[in-house]
Amino acid sequence: MTRVPVPRLLLALALVLAAIYLFPLYWMYVTSLKGGSEIFANPPTFWPRDPNPAIYPETWERRTMGTFLWNSVVIGSGVTALTVLLGTGCAYVLARYRSAWIDVALFVILMLQVLPASVMITPIYVGFNQLGLLAYPRFAVILAAAAKSIPFYIVLVRATFMNVPRELEEAALVDGNSRWGAFFFIVLPLARNGILVLAILTFMQAFGEYIYSKSIITTPAYQPASVGLSGFLGPNATDWNGIMAYSAIYVTPIVAIFVLLQRRIVAGLTSGALK
Amino acid sequence: MRRILSSITDGKGFDLVLVGVTMIFLLALAGLPLVYNVLLSFQEVDMFNLAAFQRPWAGLENYREVISQPEFGLVMKNTGIFVFGSIAGQFVLGFALAIFFMVKFPFASTIRGVFLVSWVMPGLVVGAIWGLILAGDYGVLNAILQSLGIIDGTVFWKSDPRLSIWAVTIANIWLGLAFNMMLLSVGLAAIPRDLYEAAELDGANGLQRFATITVPMMRSTIGAVLALGLIYTLQQFDLFPAITEGGPANSSTVAQYWAWQWSFRIFDFAKGATVSVMMLIFVLVASIVYVWSTRAEVRG
Repeated sequence: MTRVPVPRLLLALALVLAAIYLFPLYWMYVTSLKGGSEIFANPPTFWPRDPNPAIYPETWERRTMGTFLWNSVVIGSGVTALTVLLGTGCAYVLARYRSAWIDVALFVILMLQVLPASVMITPIYVGFNQLGLLAYPRFAVILAAAAKSIPFYIVLVRATFMNVPRELEEAALVDGNSRWGAFFFIVLPLARNGILVLAILTFMQAFGEYIYSKSIITTPAYQPASVGLSGFLGPNATDWNGIMAYSAIYVTPIVAIFVLLQRRIVAGLTSGALK
Repeated sequence: MRRILSSITDGKGFDLVLVGVTMIFLLALAGLPLVYNVLLSFQEVDMFNLAAFQRPWAGLENYREVISQPEFGLVMKNTGIFVFGSIAGQFVLGFALAIFFMVKFPFASTIRGVFLVSWVMPGLVVGAIWGLILAGDYGVLNAILQSLGIIDGTVFWKSDPRLSIWAVTIANIWLGLAFNMMLLSVGLAAIPRDLYEAAELDGANGLQRFATITVPMMRSTIGAVLALGLIYTLQQFDLFPAITEGGPANSSTVAQYWAWQWSFRIFDFAKGATVSVMMLIFVLVASIVYVWSTRAEVRG
């Protein structure tokens, strides 16, 4: 807005603000490395006296994190696959035309996007129970969570398709391509980056999904990492270095992917959400 | 038959298939449950007829019983505190940060992007971390506030019935702050620079420029962000089981957690559906505001 003589000072201030904001993340890693009694020290230590990474393999073993994380990957991949499969084509058509029907479809999709999962879980659970779907709990969670993520995906991918020039597609049609050909060989490759970023975002969301899994999956062998974490969490939790080690193992891959793709994720998110 | 096939490969049928399959999926897994939810709230549901397709009709009995619960008022009040506290905190802090990052300095957009990491973290992990930070005797927030001289004694954020809802609200403000900032930044970036330059030439100070240019130009963005704030706050569930489990004595139970408890702790699915239907009314109002304020952008 105004010209600032000391951009360095602002950079320093920005770094301080970011450090304050990211403090919880730092606190997670630091606490996981602390010894049992140091966690309850008052005042707390901001750097562990005797960092002990042995808690990581120990927590991995004791909390059977391999199984939990595998289930999270299964659910996350299933939701992402279903979302991309169903959402991409729909977003493309909604981006190509303008009519009253398209507006109605968009309105329905926006309204579905806002339904809270905690509201939907009761009827979904009762309905799945009647249909016998609860016998395949992970599949049931994938169906329910995909219905939640598809509207969001459509709205954002549609914005990506809007940026693909229509002329390129028309040229392909004139050259004798079918609609399918033009879609798969011209439009999709051009929108590839946007689709990829949003697929990754969908995966991240589904990877951390909790409420559907907690309500639908009762067999521990099929539960994802979020439900596994809730097993030893709560207002009276004391096993803090175990909890923080578990959390660190759980979120570090997500945080790493986010840092690597930060620019693209932010661009993909802001292009369609609002202008 | 051949005409239908060729239409699917090369005509209107192609579009109809792509939209139709997805719409059927969404209506089956989101639209139908929505209607079913309303139906359930008027029925008598227990463990014995849970799988049955015929259930006794209960009329408005579920609504009457939910409203006459002793904790009903408390839950409504908590929901109000949680919703308005979260939205106010996220919006004010998010707006301040968005304006700060609009100033040109090196790495501004990169540092701003880093904030969004809170948004991709699983809610349960965020809840776990804040549960530790907000702990009473050994919590780091108390230690920091004490060393700054803001509080004297130990504040029991999670176990004091007057504060427990605020403990979850603080965590939720942290969680949603970055998303608010990002959306508001996009809105700020769309305001033409020369408006500010003209106002500056006319002698308007910073506050006047904010009130007469920024706020009016951002009206639709602000509307959308506030509506999204309401929607996402009512969707927030994971923080409750992670931080307070609604306690102590329901002092941090909000409508969405209450609805879940009815269904999956007490196994009274009809009451869970009843609370959900009550919540939906608020969600619908918010979503109409949201759809209205984003209609221009979404239609493109």
